[in-house]
Amino acid sequence: MIKLSNIYKSYHIGKEEVPILKNINIEIKGGEFVAIMGPSGSGKSTLMNIIGCLDRASSGVYLLNEQEISTYSDEQLAKVRNVNIGFVFQQFQLLPRMSAVENVELPMIYAGVSRKERRERAEEALRKMGLIERMKHLPSELSGGQKQRVAIARAIVNNPNLILADEPTGALDTNTSTSIMEQISALNLDGTTVAVITHEPEVAAYASRTIVVRDGKILIGDEKESDNL
Amino acid sequence: MSIVENIRMAFSSVLAHKMRSILTMLGIIIGVASVIVVVAIGQGGEQMIKSEITGSSNTIEVYYEPSEEEIQSDPNIYEQPAFTEEDLTALSKVAGVKNVVASSSTQMKTQYRDKQSDSAINAVNEAYIDVNALEIAKGRMLNSTDFLSGNRVGVISNELNEELFKNKNALGKVIWIKGQPFEVVGVTKKQTGLLSFGMTEVYIPDNTYRSSFGKLEYSTLSLQAEDANQLKQVGNHATDLLNALHKTEDSYQVNNLEEVADSIGSITKIMTTIIGSIAGISLLVGGIGVMNIMLVSVTERTKEIGIRKALGASRKQILMQFLVESVTLTLIGGITGILLGASGAFLVSFFAGWPSLISWQVVLGGVLFSMTIGIIFGMLPANKAAKLDPIEALRYE
Repeated sequence: MIKLSNIYKSYHIGKEEVPILKNINIEIKGGEFVAIMGPSGSGKSTLMNIIGCLDRASSGVYLLNEQEISTYSDEQLAKVRNVNIGFVFQQFQLLPRMSAVENVELPMIYAGVSRKERRERAEEALRKMGLIERMKHLPSELSGGQKQRVAIARAIVNNPNLILADEPTGALDTNTSTSIMEQISALNLDGTTVAVITHEPEVAAYASRTIVVRDGKILIGDEKESDNL
Repeated sequence: MSIVENIRMAFSSVLAHKMRSILTMLGIIIGVASVIVVVAIGQGGEQMIKSEITGSSNTIEVYYEPSEEEIQSDPNIYEQPAFTEEDLTALSKVAGVKNVVASSSTQMKTQYRDKQSDSAINAVNEAYIDVNALEIAKGRMLNSTDFLSGNRVGVISNELNEELFKNKNALGKVIWIKGQPFEVVGVTKKQTGLLSFGMTEVYIPDNTYRSSFGKLEYSTLSLQAEDANQLKQVGNHATDLLNALHKTEDSYQVNNLEEVADSIGSITKIMTTIIGSIAGISLLVGGIGVMNIMLVSVTERTKEIGIRKALGASRKQILMQFLVESVTLTLIGGITGILLGASGAFLVSFFAGWPSLISWQVVLGGVLFSMTIGIIFGMLPANKAAKLDPIEALRYE
């Protein structure tokens, strides 16, 4: 489902070119649950941004659902993010002035779903996350775990085939973390591909495969090595 | 994403910062309101001046101005009467003429007991009373009997009433005009029009003038047409007739009041345009204010933009969101300005007795112009928002 071949990414700091990712090759199959680990500065966030179509590789080929994303325009990338990918962030990234249900409706606004259908689907997603009775609350009136569950509801509401979670439990206590990871696992069991970026081994333990990134390279877990494992 | 969705978002965002939104709109409100007031009063004033000049009675003035040659051949030409009784009779038969209004005005000493005044004695024919519709404050107007039998009666102007009678009741009193007694039967209302100067005047029937002072020479003559559209034609026929009767070439002419009114109208138009464009500049300044606030808003909401982009908002959708928001701001401002300007113009016309015209063109123009301001000055901030890099925007604190 995801195939990264020879992905190279560098940033220009002044006149100097700083490589972030060097020759990355990853393949993630549909329905897999993958953890991407690595110390800070390893390039794992950049990797996630590229997979999430928020950023482009400097060179290399990225195939998502057999489509070559590397050649897509900004408008097309926005469409891919909207339809194919659900994001879960460490800081939840909910819009503070909107209620839980309005936050969940947001991706559907950009997908052009009608108002009535939006509300129905948003309520359904919140119900799945066990937050239906809190749907009218503003994010500031919700606990961390509840906020993250709203964010997950928002991530799944457009039925994406890939969920990208960037440190989804980074701002949560242990008990809440466990319940959030269980919810993400449940989504994976329903058939959604999940990629979690984390530096916590407890979180990575939920994944069926772990990819470790260090200094812009895949240390373990790329396709060849996982075949060998 | 539909425009309705954008408008809904824009409203919730405008409402989220009420104070800021109101202050931002203030520039547009003041700009639009002042344009509306200036244009409304300008157009009203123009209309008023025009109607003051042409009057509502579709009349046209005929005047006599001898040519150089005629003056040379007869140096006493001004001593002769410009219009005679016969002229009046002939003119009344011209097709389209409803009334021939004739009057003469002579300065004469007017006296009541020990008070004296130098007044304009207006000897008028009956048609004058019908056409000019003088308003009577006290007593009555000259009537047909006065004209037929040449009664020694007069209607005095409000100003003369002040001078001779100190505003006390003058009705029934006898005033002396050049040694002749006249009974005051009426006092005119104080004139409030733009072009009235408040003179001491006495209106007496033309026949009375003849019996009291001798020969009457009409100095002013105007024609009332049956139809306002015939005015020019009637005037031409009348001057042709008069020039033929007096064997003059072109000495009898008509004053085309419409032309005068038009030229005055064009002056007020220029004035309105100048003042209006100054007010328009304040609209421009208001627009810059909107741009400023929108730029601040984009910076403040960088994270929101990042989130929206991550969730699949395209550049175009973000651009539209901010553009609709700035148009919403300017449009609300514009509509408020129109309402405020309209009530301002109404107040001015109410207290100053000056008509004000609010045409739908001005209202539509105000709405479209404020929308255009919103688009023009919203473009830069909206474009800035649309171009934000989603990753950096998400990281923004």
